[in-house]
Amino acid sequence: MTSSTTTLQEDFPLPPQRSGKSFWFYTLRTNALVLALLALLVPISWYAENPDRLDPYYARILMLIGINVVLAVSLQLINGISGQFSLGHAGFMAVGAYMAGYPATAYSNELHDPGAVLLFYVALFVTLGTIGLLLWGLFALLRLSRRAYGGAPLLLLLALLAWFVWDISMAARVTTGQGAPPYLVWSRLIVWIQSGFTWILERGTPAAAWVDGHLPEAGRKPVTFLLLLLGGACCAAVAGFLIGLPTLRLRGDYLAIATLGFSEIIRVVITNAEPLGRATGLSVPVYSNVGSGESPEFRIFPWVFGAALVTTMTIWRLQHSAKGRAIAAVREDEIAAAAVGIDTTHHKVLAFVIGAFFAGVAGGLFAHYDGYLNPNAFGFIRSIEVVVMVTIGGLGSVWGAIAAAAVLTWLPEFLRDPGSWIGIVTSAELPRWLVDSLAAVGENRMVAYSLLLILIMLARGGAFGFRRPSFLRWRREPGAPAAGATAS
Amino acid sequence: MPLLEVQNVSVRFGGLRALGDFSFGVDVGEIVALIGPNGAGKTTAFNVITGVYRPTAGQIVLGGKRIDGRSPVHINRAGVARTFQNIRLFQNLSVLDNVVIGFNRSAERGLLATLLRSPRFARQRADFYDRGMDLLRTFDLQPKAKLLAKNLPYGDQRRLEIARALATDPKILLLDEPAAGMNPQEKQDLMSLIRFIRDRFGVGVWLIEHDMKLVMSISQRITVLDHGETIAIGSPTEVQENPKVIEAYLGEPV
Repeated sequence: MTSSTTTLQEDFPLPPQRSGKSFWFYTLRTNALVLALLALLVPISWYAENPDRLDPYYARILMLIGINVVLAVSLQLINGISGQFSLGHAGFMAVGAYMAGYPATAYSNELHDPGAVLLFYVALFVTLGTIGLLLWGLFALLRLSRRAYGGAPLLLLLALLAWFVWDISMAARVTTGQGAPPYLVWSRLIVWIQSGFTWILERGTPAAAWVDGHLPEAGRKPVTFLLLLLGGACCAAVAGFLIGLPTLRLRGDYLAIATLGFSEIIRVVITNAEPLGRATGLSVPVYSNVGSGESPEFRIFPWVFGAALVTTMTIWRLQHSAKGRAIAAVREDEIAAAAVGIDTTHHKVLAFVIGAFFAGVAGGLFAHYDGYLNPNAFGFIRSIEVVVMVTIGGLGSVWGAIAAAAVLTWLPEFLRDPGSWIGIVTSAELPRWLVDSLAAVGENRMVAYSLLLILIMLARGGAFGFRRPSFLRWRREPGAPAAGATAS
Repeated sequence: MPLLEVQNVSVRFGGLRALGDFSFGVDVGEIVALIGPNGAGKTTAFNVITGVYRPTAGQIVLGGKRIDGRSPVHINRAGVARTFQNIRLFQNLSVLDNVVIGFNRSAERGLLATLLRSPRFARQRADFYDRGMDLLRTFDLQPKAKLLAKNLPYGDQRRLEIARALATDPKILLLDEPAAGMNPQEKQDLMSLIRFIRDRFGVGVWLIEHDMKLVMSISQRITVLDHGETIAIGSPTEVQENPKVIEAYLGEPV
């Protein structure tokens, strides 16, 4: 821990009044507030997503801010609150984007088939679940064999590997058209998985078509979009679970490297997957039809900022609950956390799964906002951008992550042409020297951006985090020892 | 038969026998102690009881059920809580949160209730903070409830760690050198605090301590370890007069 200290715990939650009624009142009030904010997004969108009122350039920055808020806040859960250092957020976002984008292109006609999309996810998760169960059974068997003989798991694993290699090499020799002999299991596994998947799809198609036919026209597109977002997010959560489990023993730099590698694997897999468009990218139907003259109009603005709101609410509420306390305890001291009865594994994986879920939501939003997905957009740099947002916002602070996501999305655009942004605020004639120097900043914006980042990093710990620098501390308990007085 | 019983437990690290054939027990309402020179294996004994290490041989029984080889989480929930020789608080959490975390096992379920802030969640939270404040009050830490744990003075940190352990509602409390780094006055206070904990919370206290005066005056039974082997066991007076103990602490008589 750094020597800079915050004397007070931030956001100290006060217990509500003590009576049965007031608890109900508290629940209703706090959720009504969220619903009111969500409802407010619709009228705002009439302004924000309207090319006649707001320049599409500004609207796009606004939209990217919303998506980046979802990303940064969800990474804050993993990196800040749970204290693990993940560099793989772009990977989770890619999973969400492609798994929300692919079914929309392959199984849906212009986002009008909620039944077909739902069927795709059901088939996918049933298939994945079966594979998972089989793998789990295999591992359970390997573990059990240890009872018979200590070296048995290793031997069995080696035998399995040998069988696998033999199987593959035999399959390569069997000429096509002959039909593979029945003992070749491994080489046909992928075919079985595929046929199982299509079997479910075929069985379900009539039911899905019936559902789609009976839904009101105006409701079909939003429902499809919601299903796509949730489905993509669930896929990302599965990815988060898969990386969360094996990397539990890693921490610090090692965990960062592992997550980075994992997200690169995702990117490379996408780059080589035929149905996902390989390196050429994937064109995805766009949700918003504003300006096309169609009726009814669908806007994506409420979805983006609704997702930002729901993400923030979820992660803030999680942080300020028994679960969040447990996650923070694991961050502070794993051994002590286990000694007071906190299941460390559960809470570390939970943080990863929920963080990845919302990264997937951000991916799905991006896919259907932008309409085009390219694997290179989800590379290492994208992960770093989100990590920078979280770090600059301050580790552990949800509000800091939001502020940093907004500022750091806007800042490069501001530096591109500072004069025009100032022109929005004031129409007054600026002095000549100021116009010139602003133009100079615009020309060297990458330098200016890096300098600003360095400046913020010098204020160690970011703007709002639990490692807030001394000059940003404004609340101190009377009589408490000053920062630095106690060794930590 | 005592509630927590360690039966012939050995711990080996490669060729090193850190703990050999160790047997001891503690019952509810008792105060017992484990002493011995540095490196005798005292903390190893605590670590093996709380599940940090797995015993190489022997068994540990809590209330008739074997707990050896189980995870630290399981053992804590079964009713054994501990403190650490080098204080392990959740430094960047508030003093109150440090204690409230101990109640956590009754709040494990209900992710949806947490996210929707259901009335049940709100009631439980209020209840937790009330109970946490009560617990802090018994330890005189209540005025400092909002401070971050790392900003507490040393003695308060020691007491907070004991409070956190008690929050998990244990039957047996293991204290690893609770008096380390305390002055004589603080040690006096600690002694009365330990007796108070035993009476108020009805727990059995098992402590590791170097301070002979403290150990002799407070404990009912004492075990002495040296190089992982038990060299004496009995009441404070018996142990004090045992020549092997004197030898271990002072060296062979000339």
